[in-house]
Amino acid sequence: MSKNVNRAVAAPEEITVQDVTKAYLRWHFANEIPHSFDRYLACSLLYALMPVLKKLYKDKDALQAAYQRQLLFFNTQLTWGGGVITGLMSSMEAERAREEYEGVEIAMTDDLMYNTKAGLMGALAGIGDAIDSGTVQYIFIAIAVPWAEQGNPLGALFPFICFATYQVAVGLFFARQSFAMGRSATSLMGSSGVQTAIDTLSVLGLFMMGILAGQYVKVSSSLAFEISGKPFVMQEILDKIIPGILPLTVVMGVYMFYNKKGLNVTKALLWLTLVLTVLAGIGIL
Amino acid sequence: METIGTLSVTQSLLIAIWVACVMSRWLGGGATLTLRFSPLMTGLVVGVVMGNVSQAMIVTAALQLIYMGVFSPGGSMPSEPAIAAAIAVPVALLGNLDPELAIPVAVPVGMLGSYLYQFRFFLNTFIGKYTDKAVEEMNDAGIRHSIITLPTLASFALFVPLVFVALYFGAPRIAEFITALEGTPVIHILDVLGGGLAAIGIATTVYVIGRKDYLVFFFLAYFMSVSFKPLGIGMVTYAIFGTIIAVVYTMAATKGGNASADSGVAASDDDYDDGF
Repeated sequence: MSKNVNRAVAAPEEITVQDVTKAYLRWHFANEIPHSFDRYLACSLLYALMPVLKKLYKDKDALQAAYQRQLLFFNTQLTWGGGVITGLMSSMEAERAREEYEGVEIAMTDDLMYNTKAGLMGALAGIGDAIDSGTVQYIFIAIAVPWAEQGNPLGALFPFICFATYQVAVGLFFARQSFAMGRSATSLMGSSGVQTAIDTLSVLGLFMMGILAGQYVKVSSSLAFEISGKPFVMQEILDKIIPGILPLTVVMGVYMFYNKKGLNVTKALLWLTLVLTVLAGIGIL
Repeated sequence: METIGTLSVTQSLLIAIWVACVMSRWLGGGATLTLRFSPLMTGLVVGVVMGNVSQAMIVTAALQLIYMGVFSPGGSMPSEPAIAAAIAVPVALLGNLDPELAIPVAVPVGMLGSYLYQFRFFLNTFIGKYTDKAVEEMNDAGIRHSIITLPTLASFALFVPLVFVALYFGAPRIAEFITALEGTPVIHILDVLGGGLAAIGIATTVYVIGRKDYLVFFFLAYFMSVSFKPLGIGMVTYAIFGTIIAVVYTMAATKGGNASADSGVAASDDDYDDGF
């Protein structure tokens, strides 16, 4: 490609924080709508980045190439993965557009962009799912369940409004942050600040799961009989040894199942339903 | 035998449309995440549509307990709480059932629902061909429609008729059947299930967080909440305790060398992949 050809095309416009905000909000909306078996969420990422790409590539072929670049297999979590990657792709595409326009050697190659994306999407999805959907969501729900149990509609509205707002805020934060950091955002996950935050949230997550287990997993033995006139009540004996031992056994049983067999939630659900039904049916639970 | 009411066409349709709004993931995009994972909002909508918010919330709370901690690591979920609530809560209200009797309706319906949700991906895979074509032609409106409009319409076409039929024709029959269970030993089994199934979601989250070295905090919190039960400490207070403990721990760990901080990302990466 000669410099003359490039000069015939208008220069890329500057990408601002507003553009990135818009890109993230577009991602946040499209997110799971076009989820498919072959590309997962790739279409949503393309949808998110369309306005940014249009500002960057004034040449039709270059724009099409950019669209196709962002339409490759992509799957991640809404806020952590989606936030970081929309911000990062905005900044990387801006760099690429500049290189193409100036006719310099392309350092921001397709491979580099895709590998960056692919490298981050899994790791960020894992931690994002566990913290957002797994922990924060259930802190709100656990606060609200007692209201729901009393028939109060706030029991539904409170966790929905709080969690939906939280997600937009977290996603926007990551998008803006990773855009500002540009390519150094790839090291975002390794930076000590983020690492400390992840550690803190992991501890908080496990702590809150312990609280939830203590409050909401209810398993007790209904086994009771008489031995030579003296009543024998299984649950009372268990309470004397270790209070709450049965619910903990059930949770840890499922956890061990995952450790042995991998994360197969459906199988765990079916097995636990079967085991509880049998034990309840024969009068042990 | 007391008579069991039915849902009107409008009521069935309204609930079916709500389910489609949530399961197409269209209603506010990312906001549908918790609408899908938790039965609470669907229960509220059912309550409003059927004119009995209070009882609907009580039934939904019982369902929330079996779905406590449920989310979809890697995109797959064993059960769809919103679909489950859309069928089970109306059944419970029609039959004037005890809240725990909604559970045997919710569990199988929720599992069937997860197949429906998978079928949505299948439809979207075909719609994806239109996206390719629109990009080929650089047709912006076409790209937009193929990513937003068509998948949303496809999901509506999938969920609205099925949920409508299940509610309008199915719900009164199911309610009749479930009413017959009242006073049988089945109730005891359902009580046990209702209390025990919450273990699934919680264990899943613990596993996905993926920090075996931090399990002590899970045990600490578990025995705190069991022992302090008579004090009636609220969830917010526990969250404050948890935050302080977490901050103190990471402060101490950073000060005393940062050896413990390097396994987190790799571990969660593995767990995520398992979910596919």
